[in-house]
Amino acid sequence: MWNDLQAALFLFYKYVTRGNKGTSVLTVLVATLAFLQINLISGIFSGALGLIYDQTKNNYVGNIVVQPGKDQWGNKEEYIKQVTELKRKINAIPGIIGCSSRYTIGSVIEYHPDKTGKDIRTVSWPVKSIDPEDEKRISGLHNNMLAGQYLDESDRDQIVMGREISGGYGASLEVQSLKGINIGDEVTIFYHNGTTRKYTLKGIYATAFPLADMNAFVTQKEMESVLGMRDRASEIIIRTDDAYPEAYYIQELRKAGVELPDIRPWQDFIGLVLGLAQTFDIIKRIVLFIGLVVAGVTIFIVIFIATISRKKQIGIMKAIGMKEGIIVASYIMLSLFYAVVGIGIGLAVLEFVATPYFIAHPLDFPVGKTSLLIVRGEVATSIICMLAVSIIAGFIPSWRVSRENIIKAIWG
Amino acid sequence: MIKVTDLKKTYPGKVPVHALKGVSFEIPSGQFVAIMGPSGSGKSTLLHQLALLDKPTSGQILLDGIDISGLSQGKATDFRLRYLGYVFQEYALIPELNAIENAFLPLMLLGMNRKEFIRVSTELMGRVGLVDRLHHLISELSGGEQQRVAIARALVNKSKILFADEPCANLDTENKGIVLRLLRKLCNDLGQTILMVTHEPEQREFADRVLWFRDGRLVKEEYIGKDVQEDAIHNGYRTDVSSSEK
Repeated sequence: MWNDLQAALFLFYKYVTRGNKGTSVLTVLVATLAFLQINLISGIFSGALGLIYDQTKNNYVGNIVVQPGKDQWGNKEEYIKQVTELKRKINAIPGIIGCSSRYTIGSVIEYHPDKTGKDIRTVSWPVKSIDPEDEKRISGLHNNMLAGQYLDESDRDQIVMGREISGGYGASLEVQSLKGINIGDEVTIFYHNGTTRKYTLKGIYATAFPLADMNAFVTQKEMESVLGMRDRASEIIIRTDDAYPEAYYIQELRKAGVELPDIRPWQDFIGLVLGLAQTFDIIKRIVLFIGLVVAGVTIFIVIFIATISRKKQIGIMKAIGMKEGIIVASYIMLSLFYAVVGIGIGLAVLEFVATPYFIAHPLDFPVGKTSLLIVRGEVATSIICMLAVSIIAGFIPSWRVSRENIIKAIWG
Repeated sequence: MIKVTDLKKTYPGKVPVHALKGVSFEIPSGQFVAIMGPSGSGKSTLLHQLALLDKPTSGQILLDGIDISGLSQGKATDFRLRYLGYVFQEYALIPELNAIENAFLPLMLLGMNRKEFIRVSTELMGRVGLVDRLHHLISELSGGEQQRVAIARALVNKSKILFADEPCANLDTENKGIVLRLLRKLCNDLGQTILMVTHEPEQREFADRVLWFRDGRLVKEEYIGKDVQEDAIHNGYRTDVSSSEK
């Protein structure tokens, strides 16, 4: 067995060192390009998805959302009770960065851009309340002000809107917005509980994540006066340090006495995006498949031509007593060599060229800028697949030729 | 000693071809035998059966009393490696290997250690007059030199029988003389059994014995006299091994 392996290694080494260098370089180049194609496209998709996930956590729903439970008759309650105590318990759990409670209430927002009253712009959106200081710990809202200022705790007649509600600033849902309200302008809000209040627009924010930019915020104190209640919330948004999956923290929350039944991870709030992620995943698999086919077929053709052109030699090697297995093994080694070198160069290009390039020149997606996100598991999968394909591509042609009758192989 | 009894080979097809029609003969060890006959007489087919490159349809081949005609493919491969040597009509060498690497390949397959197989193959390359060409690639060698490398490879495993299928077919006159003298010398010095297929009558004069074939049958045997042999060695193809090497 060792002799056979040694002989196969010897032949393989000679094929590489004394074979056609041009063929080797081109085959390695194709293997490199196939590897890069698989991992660059996968990295771009992963980067885009990672960006959407980060946006969701940073600006939309945090990592975990706690919502009201059900009453004794099984109906969903409108508000979470004893919020101060709940927040104390939540903040005491290691790994929780912070939490913020919000009220949410449906409303109609009315805006009169001129004094004549002829142009009345009305939109129907829910208004949310935030504790501006708590919110700073769980979202990037305060860092994403496009115009005006972020809310202060003492603000009562001020409102902050996302650009999808204010309109302008490159919003994508202009039809459903106030079509360009300015900082300092006044709006009237008709809350669904019958209360009507006037607010001055204090700030407009944009996170580049449309779902997050479809919010209008007033302060917690203002909303409690509108609703006439205290220490309650429609939801509590929780940020974690991402050291563990959300399921772990949900378990910890329950252990800490947060016994509300409706504690959900952020993934539950972006069903559409997760559908997109599944589509990306399918595209990634298609790209992986095409890349593997390209690499596999190229190596197959190279080994096929090599074995066909060396058919006579293979016959002679068998005639002098070389086992078929040694011949096949030498070509599998050659095929693996092309793949391994191609993968090696591809990895180096990914690490030292592509990744730094995309960090310096991030791709501009509608939801923000992103660079490559190289997922080790996906790279490992592509390496394993390429090696497996190269073994098959080396085995089939060499096995077919080496099984041919010696006389036919030598004399054609 | 080789003993062939009623050896037959038929190639199947719409019209089966009976290449060997019951051939029997014996060859004692250390004899240089030339196999001659016109094209299609079955001489190469005979060599393929004896060298286990092909399976006979029927008949028996005994090598030193062992029946080798029914060996399985795997055992036949091992037998060729250990006991047989084959020199092909064309320079059947591996171009990616240099001269000595081609020569020591069978020893590597046999599991001999590197130091030893280099020593043995270098010695043999010296015997075939190529000690100064050890590390030349095949493309850097002349046709005659390539055929001598092939002879070295065929002998490196101390083969019981050396089969040579028209080894001089593609060589010029000078190199034909070199190769034939080398084969004769190997037979004389080492007692090597040699079976050589040829269609050139002059070449038979280097052998001890000639088996004439026609239409798949052994039709005549001829023994070469020592004086004819000596004359061929000294005057055949009008060259001399030593002078050509210079």
